[in-house]
Amino acid sequence: LNKNLAQKWLMQAQVSPQAWQFCWALLSPDKVPEIQYFGASALHTKISRYWSDIPSDQYETLKTQLFSQIACFSSGSKMVLTRLCVALASLALNTMPEVWPGAVPEMVRVFQEEGGGVDGRARCLALLELLTVLPEEFQTSRMPQYRKGQVRGALGREWGSVCPLLQQLLRQGDSPGAVKSRVLRCLSSWVLLDVPLSESEGLVEDCFTALPDPELFDTAVEAIVNAISQPDSQRYVNTLLKLVPQVLSLQEQLREAVQNGDMETSHGICRIAVALGENHSRALLEQVEHWQGFLALVNMIMFCTGIPGHYPVNETTSSLTLTFWYTLQDDIMSFDCERQAVYLQVYRPVYFQLVDVLLHKAQFPSDQEYASWSSDEKEQFRIYRVDISDTLMYVYEMLGAELLSNLYEKLGRILTNTEQASSWQHTEALLYGFQSIAETIDVNYSDVIPGLIGLLLRININNVQLADTVMFTIGALAEWLADHPVMLSSVLPLVLQALGNPDLSISSVSTLKKICRECKYDLPPYASNIVAVSREVLSKQIHKTSQCMWLMQALGFLLSALHVEEILRNLHSLITPYIQQLEKLADETPNPSNKLAIIHILGLLSNLFTTLDISKQEDESGESTAPPVKTAPLPPGPNPVVVVLQQVFALIQTVLSKWLNDSQVVEAVCAIFEKSVKTLLHDFAPMVSQLSEMLGQMYSTIPQASALDLTRQMVHIFARETDHFPPIKALFDLVTSVTLSIFQQGPRDHPDIVDSFMQLQAQALKRKPDLFLSESLDVKAVFHCGLLSLKFPEAPTVKSTCLFFTELLPRCSDVPPVARVVQENGKLLLQAVLEAIGGGSSRSLMEQFAEVLFSLNKHCFPLLTVWLKEALQAQGFPSTRVTTEQKDTFTQQILRERVNKRRMKDIVKEFTLVCRGLHGTEYAAEYCL
Amino acid sequence: MAYQLYRNTTLGNSLQESLDELIQTQQITPQLALQVLLQFDKAINTALANRVRNRVNFKGSLNTYRFCDNVWTFVLNDVEFREVTDLVKVDKVKIVACDGKNTGNAAE
Repeated sequence: LNKNLAQKWLMQAQVSPQAWQFCWALLSPDKVPEIQYFGASALHTKISRYWSDIPSDQYETLKTQLFSQIACFSSGSKMVLTRLCVALASLALNTMPEVWPGAVPEMVRVFQEEGGGVDGRARCLALLELLTVLPEEFQTSRMPQYRKGQVRGALGREWGSVCPLLQQLLRQGDSPGAVKSRVLRCLSSWVLLDVPLSESEGLVEDCFTALPDPELFDTAVEAIVNAISQPDSQRYVNTLLKLVPQVLSLQEQLREAVQNGDMETSHGICRIAVALGENHSRALLEQVEHWQGFLALVNMIMFCTGIPGHYPVNETTSSLTLTFWYTLQDDIMSFDCERQAVYLQVYRPVYFQLVDVLLHKAQFPSDQEYASWSSDEKEQFRIYRVDISDTLMYVYEMLGAELLSNLYEKLGRILTNTEQASSWQHTEALLYGFQSIAETIDVNYSDVIPGLIGLLLRININNVQLADTVMFTIGALAEWLADHPVMLSSVLPLVLQALGNPDLSISSVSTLKKICRECKYDLPPYASNIVAVSREVLSKQIHKTSQCMWLMQALGFLLSALHVEEILRNLHSLITPYIQQLEKLADETPNPSNKLAIIHILGLLSNLFTTLDISKQEDESGESTAPPVKTAPLPPGPNPVVVVLQQVFALIQTVLSKWLNDSQVVEAVCAIFEKSVKTLLHDFAPMVSQLSEMLGQMYSTIPQASALDLTRQMVHIFARETDHFPPIKALFDLVTSVTLSIFQQGPRDHPDIVDSFMQLQAQALKRKPDLFLSESLDVKAVFHCGLLSLKFPEAPTVKSTCLFFTELLPRCSDVPPVARVVQENGKLLLQAVLEAIGGGSSRSLMEQFAEVLFSLNKHCFPLLTVWLKEALQAQGFPSTRVTTEQKDTFTQQILRERVNKRRMKDIVKEFTLVCRGLHGTEYAAEYCL
Repeated sequence: MAYQLYRNTTLGNSLQESLDELIQTQQITPQLALQVLLQFDKAINTALANRVRNRVNFKGSLNTYRFCDNVWTFVLNDVEFREVTDLVKVDKVKIVACDGKNTGNAAE
């Protein structure tokens, strides 16, 4: 606490008027550096933020004092020196160009003068520090836009005096390394101001000469990259052209570094080459007469892409280059057709080479080496491969189908070569390239796919990574297979075989799912086989839970395309073992392990029913261009899913009776019905009353949010249908009264139930307001529950509650009980809303509260006028920070806004900032939610 | 400079809520809150650029697009998102995209 108090005191001291005096005292030589630092820092704060405190006749004195302090500290503590330089820089920025026109020349002059007992080198370093922080302070300072432009212009003009100084220091043979390094940093700082590249050309060249010096290498690279990358530099094409040979001349140093495994150096040189290529490829491409130079630069970058060794263990440079290839391609493709053709002649071979290089880099290392990598390195490598995959996908845009045939030929060559066995890594990489492209691009017109599938079957799959890639490649071809169903018979056995291998769990299951989703109309001949294999792997527990769920989804797709009797037959063979298991589990005494087993089985059923959708049979085959309907027309009679659901209903009730107080089991049960209702829609009708009854029983025994969500869905789909209204209404009344009793006992422990309840009420108001006419529904109580929920700290709950009120208020006109309640209790609602706006609720919820206000304004205008006046009369409400005038303005603004919801939201946001003491702060301006 | 578009995420909103509360109870100044926010921008831009490589493919029909102040906006209709195993269909999607390269540099 003391430390906090001290901190607070110091912060206040820094901004107090007295700071102007004490900061100088703190800087005195007998103080320790920490205290001196505080003094310097206070000075900077005062100058940068409270500049207007200083009378203009004191500018000169302040300046002189700062100069002399900097001179003193030039041989003292570095951190104090830097702070003082920043303070003087801030002063310069506040006074240039009018008050202090020649700021930079004066700085140079002052520090070049002998004297003060400080040696020349220290003075030089101090000057460089000052010149370095000046542009930096400009970049971070927050001055008004017009001022920013003015100062930027003035600083730009100062470059004329900084540049020769830096050049002189860099070229002097006897300049110490520390000075040169500082010069390079200073240059980095200035080029970011967008000073003309043509003017710094000589300096940039000097940077190149500094590169062989290991001490200067990093700062020189930084300076060069910054100079090349500034947006304005593209205007100086001649300078850029001169830079090309300079960059090319680094190739020797690069090769040497690569040979010696010197990663820092190769990384730095690569950054320079990439900076030039990436930022200026367009400008350099256009200089047609210099095409060879640029091509050489491109090849240099290619060398960096293909740098030997495995990423990220032996090298980390190659990944720097990937964006360059996108940029170059974009620039080439943006030329008009004629010129594009010319460039393509030169660059298509380059890009084909790039594909080879990338696929080489994407290769896995030897098994032994890979095993020695850390998991972090493996993850880095995976990421790198994804980046390569993205690049290949993009390159395909330029190279087109020829790229696929090229890959195909290579793959063919290595797989059919009987003399020399190829490594699995090589095969894998080529397939990976194929998959990268096929995954996102329509390969329908490519004529190599049948051949590729033929090759896939020849691969000797002796490695997990290779097997994974084979699976993913087949998955990527799923859409193609839908158009070429003949080939299904070749690939399916491969997939079904992989399904039995736990190491290939993710790739094989996801591939099967893709195939079942895309090709379901061609799969009926294979259905019984697929179901049989799936049953087997499920019973052997080869896959983890989530893969089992995917597998069920795959089977759902598969079954959807079968005849009803076939579906039922397969469903039975598929789920009977689980039903039996569930029956057994339902008899046992609840414990954690049988709970997991129950949730697992319920999950399998939900996932199956999510995708098992026979209604799509007609319209999908109708709209697609694929071969016409291959399935029977929709049969009369109940949907097979409903048949199964009805058969297991009693069992589910038994399970529930034992597990009713376990939210996860209840959730899993609700999920089955929720998924089924979503796919079946009105086909679910035969089960409405049965399910309503069960939900009512469930909820009145132990209330759970998932039951309310399912109720909401039922209201949404069935409340408007006369036949189903009675059970839905009974359910709605029941869950409402049960929830009201929760509110009486204290709802704070159940924000999820409250959230779902408010959503249910909102849905009912929207879908079937008649539900609120019921005698048995206590509208007033529901309203009061809403008021309580508005004050919950859980944002989703508050959102749902706001939604409830925005749905409720329009009903004042046609639902008398609602009108009555609003008339009598609406003022409480307004108060709650104002309290929230006044700071009671998160600022991110203000839009929702504005909606409620808007709705009040629209539907209860006369009442709102009175309530607003009464509510805001209270002193300090809704916040002590707002004045009566501000409240009056707010009232007027609110009452005026009955059409424009956007405007209402703005008014509320503005007012909430005032209430929270945030109005006018930069923080609030930056963060407009 | 780091993009601010991630402020309107669950993480960004939660941070902002905490900062608001700290300001309202006068435990920090709005200036400090702003610094925290800027730091958040930097950190999340770097993290998303360097640590995430999950891939989702999607296709749909392009309704509108614009490129203004270095921000791309696309409005797509009837979009299908494909993750490894899931297919999600959405009627309307708005994509806001900025150049990730700039943030990478800013983070260095």
